[in-house]
Amino acid sequence: MADPRTHRPRLWSSAATVGVLLLAVLLVPPLVQLDEQAVDLSRKLLPPSWEHPFGTDDLGRDLLLRCVYGLRISLLVGLVAALVATVVGTAVGAAAGALGGWTDRTLMRLVDAFSSVPHLLLGIFVVALFRPGVWPVIASVAVTHWLSTARIVRSEVLSLRTRPFVDAAVSGGATRWRVAVRHLLPAVLPQAGLAAVLMVPHAMWHESALSFLGLGLPSHQASLGNLVQNARSSLLTGHWWPTLFPGLLLILPTLAIAGLAGVWRDRLNPRRRSELTL
Amino acid sequence: MLELDTVTAGYDRRAPVFRGASLTVSPGESVGLLGPSGCGKSTLARVAALLHRPDSGRLVLDGTEVRAWRHRAPREQRTAVGVVFQQPRTAADPRLTLADLIAEPLRATGRRAEAAGRLAALAPAVGLTPDLLARRPHEVSDGQLQRACLARALVLRPRWLICDEMTAMLDASTTAALVAAVETYRAETGAGLLAVGHDRVLLRRWCDRTVDWKECLPVGRTP
Amino acid sequence: MNAANGKVLRALEAVTAERAEDALLSVRGLTVRFRLRGGRGVAAVTDADFDLAAGECLALVGESGCGKSVLASALLGLLPGNAETSGTALLAGASTDAATRGAGAGPDATDLLAADEKTLARTVRGRRVGLVPQSPAAHLTPVRTVRAQLEETVRALTAVPRRARREAAEAAAGRAAFPAGHLDRYPHELSGGLAQRAATALALIGDARLLLADEPTTGLDRDLVDRTVGELRRHVDEGRGLLLITHDLAAAERVADRVAVMYAGRIVELAPAHRFFGPIGPRHPYARGLLDALPERRFTPIPGMPPELSDLPEGCAFAPRCPRATALCATRPEPRAGVACHHPEDARA
Repeated sequence: MADPRTHRPRLWSSAATVGVLLLAVLLVPPLVQLDEQAVDLSRKLLPPSWEHPFGTDDLGRDLLLRCVYGLRISLLVGLVAALVATVVGTAVGAAAGALGGWTDRTLMRLVDAFSSVPHLLLGIFVVALFRPGVWPVIASVAVTHWLSTARIVRSEVLSLRTRPFVDAAVSGGATRWRVAVRHLLPAVLPQAGLAAVLMVPHAMWHESALSFLGLGLPSHQASLGNLVQNARSSLLTGHWWPTLFPGLLLILPTLAIAGLAGVWRDRLNPRRRSELTL
Repeated sequence: MLELDTVTAGYDRRAPVFRGASLTVSPGESVGLLGPSGCGKSTLARVAALLHRPDSGRLVLDGTEVRAWRHRAPREQRTAVGVVFQQPRTAADPRLTLADLIAEPLRATGRRAEAAGRLAALAPAVGLTPDLLARRPHEVSDGQLQRACLARALVLRPRWLICDEMTAMLDASTTAALVAAVETYRAETGAGLLAVGHDRVLLRRWCDRTVDWKECLPVGRTP
Repeated sequence: MNAANGKVLRALEAVTAERAEDALLSVRGLTVRFRLRGGRGVAAVTDADFDLAAGECLALVGESGCGKSVLASALLGLLPGNAETSGTALLAGASTDAATRGAGAGPDATDLLAADEKTLARTVRGRRVGLVPQSPAAHLTPVRTVRAQLEETVRALTAVPRRARREAAEAAAGRAAFPAGHLDRYPHELSGGLAQRAATALALIGDARLLLADEPTTGLDRDLVDRTVGELRRHVDEGRGLLLITHDLAAAERVADRVAVMYAGRIVELAPAHRFFGPIGPRHPYARGLLDALPERRFTPIPGMPPELSDLPEGCAFAPRCPRATALCATRPEPRAGVACHHPEDARA
């Protein structure tokens, strides 16, 4: 349980998966220079083969290539949205927890107000305000995801605030600002970072959901959500591959990132450290 | 003078931990406050260190009545009282090296330039070696960490020192070493001491006089 | 031969015999090493030898970080994965009659260091070794009453039928002097002393003959220390063996039959408590320094600090702090008559 060695297989398989996926989305588009939009109706709905490992879709486009491009867009949306949400959530949570009183009450009511609207509904509302594109989707996902981080960070700060080391800093002449920035914030950053990593797959799923509903990215753009959406009609005619591969690519990073985050969480666990204290 | 006058304090206004506690420490004097655990003596120590605002009562520090607590207290007043807590593990920011931990009050008060000099003087006084100063709290023992916490409390040269069960977790030799370090500092600076604890033998040996918690409370009142 | 005589005799034998015949726990050459990142090693415990008889309390004393808690964890198989242990720690078999069969000879004796996790979990912890924890409040489940926790432990550790469990739980509470009226309370409703007794009651349910108490008095006030220690002594007088791990010399003085002083991972002196705390005093300079640091004695610290367990000297680890050290101390002193020192002190004048 506390033995770092038992983490090895999980750590390596997860890291390798994330690494391969990242390499693919970063290197394939600039290197192969193929047009993932190229339509070839003579080759539509071909099953997986050596030439097209993932098969082709109903417009004869190579699915492997489209999946790579789709994953690229989905990962970009996931990463940027998670980053924005984490920064906003950490700032709000830290301010509420460290300052307390009136600031805390106002900020937390704001969080409650946002939380009272269903996630997807709020997300749809935000995308509906703009023309379809990558940035509205990122904004929509970020707006709905900073809430949990704000809560986590606030409760962490609240529990840290009563520790004697904060008393010691106050007694040593530290200002409120210094206590927050030098002692409390660094202590919550690992937690916030963990929340951010776990948020990436969640944000990807959100993007897919919006796209699947036809509200996300423009339908010609290859995102994982769009790919699954476009494949619906083919699935009814017995062509499984246009659905299966984008679906797998949605699940695979989720599992791998969860694996990495699990190892990270165990590292944060203070028990491991205290066991080494003699 | 450090005067606590009919102080009522706690964490819930309707049910304070104690009511009407009074205690006076003269300049340069060392007073041991004895009481069982959970009686409220640590809360009184926090009031005296300006870390806990009492529900009622007065704290007069060197003739000036304290009107604000924690961050709101004037920095001069706050830093005139050094505090050492019972558990060094929770009293030390786990991310700082021992050297940074000791120098932190100097940095927080804009006196960074003095850090190297004070560190060089304080580390041997509390028995810390240079290689220990470079380590973080989880790499040292409780006793070594408490030595650093004492140095941190002394780094701003406080006129008053409050030790709340400073040695309860420590072995006999480390206890004697820390008490000796406190007494050396007091002999040099004439600082007053309020030592809170439950070990009668220790506080009798250490302090000019000891006070029982019951003697601080008004007659006929039980906490 | 009456009981008191027998006890004295046993205690004497335990000090002198190579391996006490009736030892409940017999530890030989217990060594624990931690491997750290970067290939550094930490010598937490080195070559610990001691015996513990039934009806006897051995206090293991030393500064924090001297390895005494690691030793306790090793006996319970609770060390982290990067620890390597060697040596033997024979625990007398459950059915062994201590008067006729010794731990060394007992056919069903268990080597705690060689036993696998399954054996330790199913047959040792709680059943043959009871652990009195350092912080009882953290040891109890906050959301269940003391009675519920006692009954659950009865169910887990004994074959007591369902209907008799309530009674068994109450009996265990009684043995630990936990008042029956408080059984239906939750841990946070208990004072520190009662929480300590509740934890002790849990430790006693399996009717283990060996109790292991890890700093049971830390953070308690003096009255409570006295009471806790008195209760532990009572369990010893009922015939259990108690290994008390503590830095509190005053507590050790009140309860121990013998004292083992640990310094830098080694037991440097093993002496009968009456001699150790009495006018004769300890013979190892470190043990003497530790005792002299007490506020009721000279209140003078031992100069310097203990060495790093990751960087121990070749010879005597105490030599750099020792007033009696000579060139000879660059070689490691073998324990002789319970003292590992080249220049042991004579009896006090």
